[in-house]
Amino acid sequence: MPKLKSLDELKKLREQLQGDIKARTDSSTTITVGMGTCGIAAGARETMHAILAELESRGMDTHVTTVGCIGMCSKEPLVDIQQGDEPRVTYGNVNTEMVPRMIEEHLVQGNMVDEWVVGRVEG
Amino acid sequence: MATLTIDGVQVTAEEGQTILDVALENGIEIPTLCSHPLLEPYGACRLCVVEIIRRGWPRIETACTYPAWDGIEVNTKAPQVMEARKVILEMMLSRTPNVPIIQDLAREYGITEPPFPAEAPDEKCILCGLCVRTCHELVKADVLNYSAQGIERRVGPPFLEKTRQCIGCGACSIMCPTGAIEIVLEQEAVYQEKPLGPTSAVWVPSLQAIPRVPVIDKDSCIHFRQQDRSEGKIDDACMACQMLCEVDAINFEQEDEIIELDVGAIIVATGFEMWDATKLSQYSYGQSPNILTGLEFERLSNSAGITGGEIVTAEGKEPERVAIIHCVGSRDHNAHEYCSRFCCMYSLKQAHLVRDKTDASVYEFYMDMRAFGSGYEEFYERVQKEEGITMVRGRGASVEVLSNGKLRVKGDDADLGELVHVDVDMVLLSTAVEAPHDSSEVASMFGLSRKPDGFFAEAHPKLRPVETNTDGVFLAGSIQGPKDVPDTVGHAGAAASMALALLDKGEVVISPQVAIVDEKLCSACKTCISLCPYTAIAFVDEDNVARINEALCKGCGTCVAACPAGAITAQHFTTEQIMAQIEGLFRVPAEVEEGVKA
Amino acid sequence: MNTSKTQKHRADLLVSCVHDRAPDLIPALEAEVKRRGLEGEVKVVEAGCRGFCSMGPVLLIQPDGTFYVNVQPADVPEMVEETLVKGRVVERMTYQEPSSHACALYEDISFYSKQHRIVLRNCGMLNPASVEEYIAVGGYEAVGKALFDMTPEGVIEEVKKAGLRGRGGAGFAAARKWETGRKAEGDIKYVLANGDEGDPNCFMDRALMEADPHSILEGMIIGAYAMDAHQGYIYIPYEHTLSVKTMRNAIESARAYGLIGEDILGSGFDFEVEVRVGAHSFVGGESTALMHAIEGTVSEPRPKHIHTTEVGLWGKPTCLNNVKTWNLVPEIIGKGAEWFASIGTEKSTGTQVFSLAGKINNVGLAEVPMGTTIRELIFDVGGGIPNGREFKAIQIGGPSGGAVPASLLDMPMDYETLEEAGSMMGTGGVVVLDDRSCVIDVARYFLDFLKDQSCGKCSSCREGIRYMLEMLTNITEGKGKMSDLEVLERMGKSVKISSMCGLGKSVPNPVLSTLRHFRDEYVAHIEDHKCPAGVCKALIEHYINDQCNGCGLCLRKCPQDAITGEKKELHTIDAEKCIQCGVCFDVCRFDAVGVR
Repeated sequence: MPKLKSLDELKKLREQLQGDIKARTDSSTTITVGMGTCGIAAGARETMHAILAELESRGMDTHVTTVGCIGMCSKEPLVDIQQGDEPRVTYGNVNTEMVPRMIEEHLVQGNMVDEWVVGRVEG
Repeated sequence: MATLTIDGVQVTAEEGQTILDVALENGIEIPTLCSHPLLEPYGACRLCVVEIIRRGWPRIETACTYPAWDGIEVNTKAPQVMEARKVILEMMLSRTPNVPIIQDLAREYGITEPPFPAEAPDEKCILCGLCVRTCHELVKADVLNYSAQGIERRVGPPFLEKTRQCIGCGACSIMCPTGAIEIVLEQEAVYQEKPLGPTSAVWVPSLQAIPRVPVIDKDSCIHFRQQDRSEGKIDDACMACQMLCEVDAINFEQEDEIIELDVGAIIVATGFEMWDATKLSQYSYGQSPNILTGLEFERLSNSAGITGGEIVTAEGKEPERVAIIHCVGSRDHNAHEYCSRFCCMYSLKQAHLVRDKTDASVYEFYMDMRAFGSGYEEFYERVQKEEGITMVRGRGASVEVLSNGKLRVKGDDADLGELVHVDVDMVLLSTAVEAPHDSSEVASMFGLSRKPDGFFAEAHPKLRPVETNTDGVFLAGSIQGPKDVPDTVGHAGAAASMALALLDKGEVVISPQVAIVDEKLCSACKTCISLCPYTAIAFVDEDNVARINEALCKGCGTCVAACPAGAITAQHFTTEQIMAQIEGLFRVPAEVEEGVKA
Repeated sequence: MNTSKTQKHRADLLVSCVHDRAPDLIPALEAEVKRRGLEGEVKVVEAGCRGFCSMGPVLLIQPDGTFYVNVQPADVPEMVEETLVKGRVVERMTYQEPSSHACALYEDISFYSKQHRIVLRNCGMLNPASVEEYIAVGGYEAVGKALFDMTPEGVIEEVKKAGLRGRGGAGFAAARKWETGRKAEGDIKYVLANGDEGDPNCFMDRALMEADPHSILEGMIIGAYAMDAHQGYIYIPYEHTLSVKTMRNAIESARAYGLIGEDILGSGFDFEVEVRVGAHSFVGGESTALMHAIEGTVSEPRPKHIHTTEVGLWGKPTCLNNVKTWNLVPEIIGKGAEWFASIGTEKSTGTQVFSLAGKINNVGLAEVPMGTTIRELIFDVGGGIPNGREFKAIQIGGPSGGAVPASLLDMPMDYETLEEAGSMMGTGGVVVLDDRSCVIDVARYFLDFLKDQSCGKCSSCREGIRYMLEMLTNITEGKGKMSDLEVLERMGKSVKISSMCGLGKSVPNPVLSTLRHFRDEYVAHIEDHKCPAGVCKALIEHYINDQCNGCGLCLRKCPQDAITGEKKELHTIDAEKCIQCGVCFDVCRFDAVGVR
């Protein structure tokens, strides 16, 4: 383990390590994957892995969490994205190929991918 | 230098002093049980609490730990302080109800009865920690410390077990204010070595001596014992005497040293030794602690002795009967044939002391009563008639230790013409005196001769009782023969006068008839040196020859006759001179020769 | 070490209380996570104490905030299946508020939501064995700030502005201590952390050392810089094995990063620190006793006319602070004095950690701002008194503190107010008493605790404990005299003024404060031979009233076979056989057992 020789090195190390405890620190953005039996059957697990991988490759500070059945089984896998106080946006039928574009447009550029959205909930 | 007020009195204090120090200096009494001038302040007993007002703020602190700071105001008798002391004393008295010092203090504070029942009425330890700190700070043995905490706290060696770390110095027991520490084992050990019990390591060997200087007994001194035990690693143990000595007279570095002096006269006053009474087994000396020699009895009855002058047996009881046996080792073909001369009188004195201090009956076994000095006979009469001592004329034959610890003295009573015996509690043996064991070395050092009894020979028994055959060497006291005190003083005075007379003259007249060594002929065989009765011949290493001190040589001629090389001649007695004299003796006078011729 | 860059995981399982209570829980969780193929997705973290002792072992799943209590290895398969795989909350494992509704989420639990956690900020959130996790939340940056952006005087000034008072009990201003230490002449100076927590029912220091060791080290480095000290010691009782292990591990890992040792962060400042282990005792936490223990001599106090900041450990200037005080320093330096001073009251700034014990629902560690009222602490955070019983008093400050009665429920808790009420903040130990607790028995309990926790040096403290305990025992056994009360008061006052150390001076507090607030209970014990709370065995009698329906439960539970009666008929207690153990009272569901 290299000794830290300056405050900057400490700060740099902090940035590197932050990812490890990201799940515990506050983040304004949360992606929720519906993981009821229906979701899993429709491939929610693969979708979630794709989301995690995409976020990882972009080094993004976003929580990924799971919920049970949201109740719209026909549209599974369902993915909710909530940013700060913005309305919660739900995407339906999210497969692994859709993940990069969804993250790029919604999270990075801030534009919803309108054609995939199945619902919006205020607050 | 600080100025403070104690109970309204303005006092001054030195740097480093505590309030307790200053109060004591100024005669203001504050009770304390755990402080000692030799030890660091500790503050365990809490009795010395006082009210202190510093910068306007009152607080309660212990006087023994609080520095005598400038400007503070101390109130040693504030009501809450007196109350606190009273409460503490109530609790102390409840825990240790039978400790006099606590009883006294409690009484001062108006407590008559312990308010709580005692768990262990025999408890003496008040946990003041003086012993622990003594062992740590002074003795540096760290044997004692506290075990357990809180109300279970107690003092002892590690695990409360006997430890070899303890040198049994007894310092803790001396410091203990309540008598809670007994040094049981050590006392036994010391008794074995010194039958009359332990003395302090610093003591005055002779109370009558001038100057009356104390000495340190290295065998008992904690400082030296710790040094020996730790092979020099602990070299700062104790030193309490040094800390206390105001004139700074204690020097632990002091070593025995040999001082060489050139002198004009020497007085040999090496005294006597007590004859060892174990040499005659019939007296059972050493088999009971109650069989004492005269000298040991002197120590026992001395007011500075271990019993404070009380005459008691080893069991601590006053004896009911005491026997004194004269002539133990004196006038005896199996020991010394001579009379030791002063034992009769001291035996009578000791009989008198026993009668004076106790109610014991005294039996004296004597052969002859030699009361020769001035007033001696009168004392003898008085002791017999007024003090009721039983005098048994006849040698005390033996002492037997009975199974009940009593001593049976047997002897023959010449007046009755039969054997008698008496059972007593204490036997005093008036043992013989003898010349010191190393007298022969002293004799040869000074060229003195010894009498058949071992004492040194004077030059003439009647006319020159203090001089010896070696010029400038005199005898004083018992080395010349047993003497009592007045005789010794008289003898010593004479020796001193003789020495002074010699010194006053400033020169010694010697006979010209001395031997000289022809150093060219001397073969360095050293034959002459051991033969010279006056130690006048010394061997000179540098020159590898024997040389004769003319001041010492008496011209006896022994060496002259003995010298194998014929290197020594006696001046005025040379061979030539003697031959010439002989020739002269045998020379026929001229007129005779002429007459013959004629 | 958890630094390996794996796939980004989506959830952390923060497990607390495993060390004592559920050593098998973490292996069970890891095995189950592996079995379900969730290894890359979730991470199991052994986190430190979360302070919710009555509910342990507890499990917090982040980021969702799902909080499970009393988690046992047997619960693991269901929990993983439901929560991690299917995203559903297992209702039966969640916390039930005493107001009887279930709380699935951490932040909804009033025990936590009403706390203000500063000292305990990282407790249960980080893996105490990982310096990396501490660095990841910004750890040791306050050291950087102090070393590079502040002068030592500036650090002291900041702490002074924050109004930080020592968390060890006496509440002495930390900055004043540091200042004297800084000004004291000496080639060598020391900073010490006091981890010798001696109060019974107190465990915050231990919890802190076990859960967040680095915050203590960071505070010590800053303090050492302010005082110009280069050596520190952390004193921990031998019995606290996990604290010792965690602190030692923390020192080693911080040293590996160059955060302890020579030339810290390239600043040129050197600091070494060592854990010293000693025997555990209440008096051992007293500053000079603790220094004696570090020096290797008998752990007993000495007079402190000369402050230890001038003549302390091995005669050198020494600054001793409680581990909680050190823990607060990086927060103050990091977030600024004003932030800290804005919390709490004017004279007592910041927060105080209380350990809640006794007759209270939420037993555990609760951190609230100074000046919080007793009512808020007991009823809001603590969840109130179990079984709907009546609140009677709190004994606060441990054996050195005193009892505060129900009439003072709305009293704000800060150093001064508590002292005026005859109690003290102490280290923040709170024992809650209800109407079934006898204050005399509690005072007796504390003296009984102290009888071998005092060092025994001062005659006043040692003998005072002995005889006050004797008198209280007599009173609880019905053998007291009215004159005892005067003696107790006299003795208490004298012991208070004449003992040497803070412990000795506070020994009589439980007695004096209960005499002050509950004298009538003493009188009842002595004159009427009654224990109003029904605790003192010699003074009570259990009986069965006509509420009894003959269920037979008490009969079966009675250890003395003192209860007789036919099924469905009124039972009776044989007074000869009864030992007043109270088991029947506790088990009866129909209020049929009474005490008189």
